[in-house]
Amino acid sequence: MAPDARAGDWKTRIMGLLPLIIFLLLLTYVGTQAPNFFTLVNLGLVLTQSLTVVLVSIGLSAVVMAGGDDVVSGGIDLSIPATTVLCAGIIAVILTNGGGLVLAVVLALAASIVVGTINAVLVTRAGLSPLLTTLAMFVAVVGVNNVVTASKRIDLDHPVITDLRSGTVLGLPLGIMIVAIVTLAAWHLLHRTRWGMHLQAAGGSRDAAAISGLRVDRLVRQTYILAALMGFTTSFFILARGSGSSPGVEDNLMLEMVLATFLGAAFSPRRIVTMWGAVLGAVLVSAISIGFKSMGVDVFWTGLIKGTLIVVVVALAALAQRGGRG
Amino acid sequence: MQRSALSIHTLRNILIQNGFLVVFASFFMVFAVSNPVFLQGDNLLNVVEGSSVLMIMALAMTLVVATGGIDLSLGIGLDFGAAFAVVAMKSYGMDWAGAALVGVLGGAVVGIFNAGLIVGLRMSPFLATLGTFFIGSSVQRIFTNGGGPNSHRQMPQSFRDLATGDILGLPTEVVIAAVLIAVYYIGLERSIWGRRVHAMGMQRSAAIVAGIPVDRILVLVFVLAAATAAVGGLVAAANIRMFTPLSGFSYLLDAIAAVFIGAALHRRGRPNVLGTVAGVLFIGMVTNGLNLMGLDFNLKDALSGIILVVALALSVVQRKLRSAN
Repeated sequence: MAPDARAGDWKTRIMGLLPLIIFLLLLTYVGTQAPNFFTLVNLGLVLTQSLTVVLVSIGLSAVVMAGGDDVVSGGIDLSIPATTVLCAGIIAVILTNGGGLVLAVVLALAASIVVGTINAVLVTRAGLSPLLTTLAMFVAVVGVNNVVTASKRIDLDHPVITDLRSGTVLGLPLGIMIVAIVTLAAWHLLHRTRWGMHLQAAGGSRDAAAISGLRVDRLVRQTYILAALMGFTTSFFILARGSGSSPGVEDNLMLEMVLATFLGAAFSPRRIVTMWGAVLGAVLVSAISIGFKSMGVDVFWTGLIKGTLIVVVVALAALAQRGGRG
Repeated sequence: MQRSALSIHTLRNILIQNGFLVVFASFFMVFAVSNPVFLQGDNLLNVVEGSSVLMIMALAMTLVVATGGIDLSLGIGLDFGAAFAVVAMKSYGMDWAGAALVGVLGGAVVGIFNAGLIVGLRMSPFLATLGTFFIGSSVQRIFTNGGGPNSHRQMPQSFRDLATGDILGLPTEVVIAAVLIAVYYIGLERSIWGRRVHAMGMQRSAAIVAGIPVDRILVLVFVLAAATAAVGGLVAAANIRMFTPLSGFSYLLDAIAAVFIGAALHRRGRPNVLGTVAGVLFIGMVTNGLNLMGLDFNLKDALSGIILVVALALSVVQRKLRSAN
């Protein structure tokens, strides 16, 4: 009896990790086909490219953890990338018009808090669905950013921004170091503090959390603010990567964020959105796009590959779950 | 004393019952005062005509949202409809009816793909249609070498008439939208099939227990929605005499917003055809009114985004208050 049960345990565990295993196999295949894929330089490239998506995905996963992971009625914040471009726009405009870095950062921070607060109020006070609220806020905030920047590209060569792009600490890229620290801090906050536990309780079962005395609405509000702050943090990396603020980066960032976060959910054995899943999703998607690119696959195919990834990984996760139950 | 309390109470009630109407009317008045052109018959017809494609998209979205899902790939349906029709005329010399049919079938392919993912593989509609969106966008890039438009200046006049012609003095695109409104109204609000769609949207498990063929309905809904979006694509292609890749996405958010404004107007908060029509007309009016105010393009964009957020918030709050009363 006992060995049987253990064998069943193993099977469930492997089934749970099946999407991740398949993804890694695919990545290995791409790695053997693409020249210089498994090198340190390429690893740096993969991580550098994934930085912005990692940061916004952490914000999104916090919101989903608190709101529940039903995409339509649960928690979701699609407006994070819009907050990012607005903050980037504000910083770029102020710095190029002779304003100081402190002023730029303070105003951008204030703008992000305003966006987060509006999201929070609309969702918890007015009772709008998060999907709808944050989709509409996405459009409104991008619109405001287009007014701020007049829809123009703004070049920026402020030392802070260039350092973020090409500076190093102890031989390691500065940008990667900072995002690693932010990620660890977020992990501590979401998984190792009382607040993080409450958050997960609220997302797991709203009613149960409310009955045991948690102030669910307040927790949910706080995650929208946290998400907006992650959007603010991301803006520096968007500025660093683009050497300034350019219109139109928000659409792609939003799609990548959703892709990484929900792909991350498929990677987790219980198929729930987790912060680590989101980070892993962001890095792996970046790895596979760079892999295909260095295999010489035309950039027009990127969307096809990403779309197929969603379908394959998510569908496999669902099938594995059904198989595991049977 | 008592009387004034009573009248305040009634005033509040009127606001609660008709909050959205009040918003609609105030914007209408602001636009009318700021530019007298707004009120002219021609311009009001412009509002309706300019909203035709959005109306068609929003009807399709209403159907999907009524089942409790969402379709982020509706724009791909529009793009495919336009692409298939333009290619059918340009490369195969088809007449307008053949091209329109091919276009609608092309759009339906997107719906069949979605249905396969959602019903066959049990993916959530959000993720499935997001995947379809990625794939469909990429397919368009591949076939147009990066997204260049495929123009067809010499398209048959009969096809062009889908957008620019007149039927009984009304622009054809308005007539197409009106016919679709009628079809959707009867199908979704006045038929047993429509009642089943709403039932599964409200309580999926109860609907299954009640013996409603949930899977069959889902397949039909996603195929119908994509085919309807393709009709929007036909009108858009006829209007500009070309197929512009990746243009459908721009209607997506407005379509979703119109559906949810419409749902908030419903007494039980359900997505419904007439509510969607009101939502689309509101969005069309705001776009037109802001245009006439001669504002800077960027400012106009930002304002319409903000107005959308406010309108959504107000309409939901209104419904909450009303059901609390």
